[in-house]
Amino acid sequence: MELLTYTFVQYAFIGGSLLAVLAGVLGPFVVQSRQAIASDMFAHVALAGIGGALLFGGSPWWGALPALLITSTLIWWLLESETYSPDALAMFFLSGGLALALAFVHLARDTVFSFENYLFGSILTLTLTDLYAIGAATILALLIVGYFWYPLIGATQNPAFLIPYRRTPQLVRLLYFWLLAIVVWIGIKTIGGLLIGALLVIPVLIVRPYCNSFKQITIGATCTSLFSVIAGLALALFVDLPPSSLIIGVLLTLFVLKGLVSLRLRT
Amino acid sequence: MYLQLPSRVMNNPIIKVEHVSKAVGSRQLLSDVSFDIAPQSLVSLIGPNGAGKSTLVKIILGLDTNYTGTITIENKERIQYIAQQSDNDPYQLPLSVHEYLSVGSTRLYSRQAAQPDFTEELKHVGVSAEVLHQSYHSLSGGERQRVAIARALLTNPTIMVLDEPLAAIDYGSRQGLYELIRHLQKDHAMTVLLVSHDIESILPISDKVLCLNQTLHTNCHPSELAPNITSPQQLMHHHC
Repeated sequence: MELLTYTFVQYAFIGGSLLAVLAGVLGPFVVQSRQAIASDMFAHVALAGIGGALLFGGSPWWGALPALLITSTLIWWLLESETYSPDALAMFFLSGGLALALAFVHLARDTVFSFENYLFGSILTLTLTDLYAIGAATILALLIVGYFWYPLIGATQNPAFLIPYRRTPQLVRLLYFWLLAIVVWIGIKTIGGLLIGALLVIPVLIVRPYCNSFKQITIGATCTSLFSVIAGLALALFVDLPPSSLIIGVLLTLFVLKGLVSLRLRT
Repeated sequence: MYLQLPSRVMNNPIIKVEHVSKAVGSRQLLSDVSFDIAPQSLVSLIGPNGAGKSTLVKIILGLDTNYTGTITIENKERIQYIAQQSDNDPYQLPLSVHEYLSVGSTRLYSRQAAQPDFTEELKHVGVSAEVLHQSYHSLSGGERQRVAIARALLTNPTIMVLDEPLAAIDYGSRQGLYELIRHLQKDHAMTVLLVSHDIESILPISDKVLCLNQTLHTNCHPSELAPNITSPQQLMHHHC
């Protein structure tokens, strides 16, 4: 318990909890829109932003934010124009983002920089400034989700909600893409770009059979996500494993338990 | 509350389709389609599979702008669209009926400023208010389509376009729904464009029948049709 008195541990719990709440609230929209792969796509694009910032001498994490916002807008535009299929676009941005990131980092000739921190997270290295940024981004995103709650549900439905001669649902989908970009931006600093998708999707899959409404799913997914982050971080104090893998490990355990309970109820 | 428009307005078509054609590559989907729809009428659009009905609907709704010809619509900001209800999608997240109705009536998506009364609107379409907090996807196909109609009505539309609305619904429930659509069309003084395969059911409720198969084959009042017509193919060869 003495470990809990360390500032870096406290920061990890606060940052992780903020991410868990945001991922829990946004997760149902991601699952509903059938765009679970989008978080991975965004994470790879964020790596290109990180590499670009490194090349031009900026802060890598902050460099990811404009890259995410610009590319999420581009991805939205390409999807709305229905020029390419979603899976082809995903492959384009997954590979393209990674290739650009590798090129930028190579050109920056930074021997200390490690992509691993952003791929798999570095929640124990959060600073107070990082926490302020994560807190502000989380509050902003939650306010937007609260204000646009029903429009966001409609815009992420499958098939999409349409209004003849108006593009409002399409514009709300752009807003949703920006919100997803923000959660990925926080995710790459905490749990890792390659693992944020699990925090968005798995809690929804765990609570889905027990819910009758979108609101119930959102509350359930947020509680599950928060539990997994706190439990994973608490385990990391005693087990010599990366916190990110323990957080996802808790989620996967809950998912398997849910499966066993469903199986038992069915028989 | 049957609202009768002045005859001057009634004489002007609310939807005017003029020489509309569309091709994708070498394939002609629509060829020189022209017709008018009068205000406060129920018009059925019938045609075999692949006839271009959904393409034409998309063009009328402004969802497809890649065509030649002209579409003129009065009050186009008050069109509502109801798509075909698919069978229950196992991957769909649950949405309560209250949430489903709220999506359609949220101020950003609807021009209606008044607070909608979901209970009253559900009563209009013959659904008990008890379903408000049930999952929309747990309802039967017929109930889901009635709730979809209620959602469209919340925005007080002047034109409602229904694209094969009852295709996935059992035959027993269909007749009641067609009668409901006709009743609501008159009660709300709406113009309805109904796309369907179900000729026998929709002829008695229609003011006009259009038969499409790339080009328009039939454009007449149901009373002008022979009584033994049961398929779009028969209708295509019929002259009013």
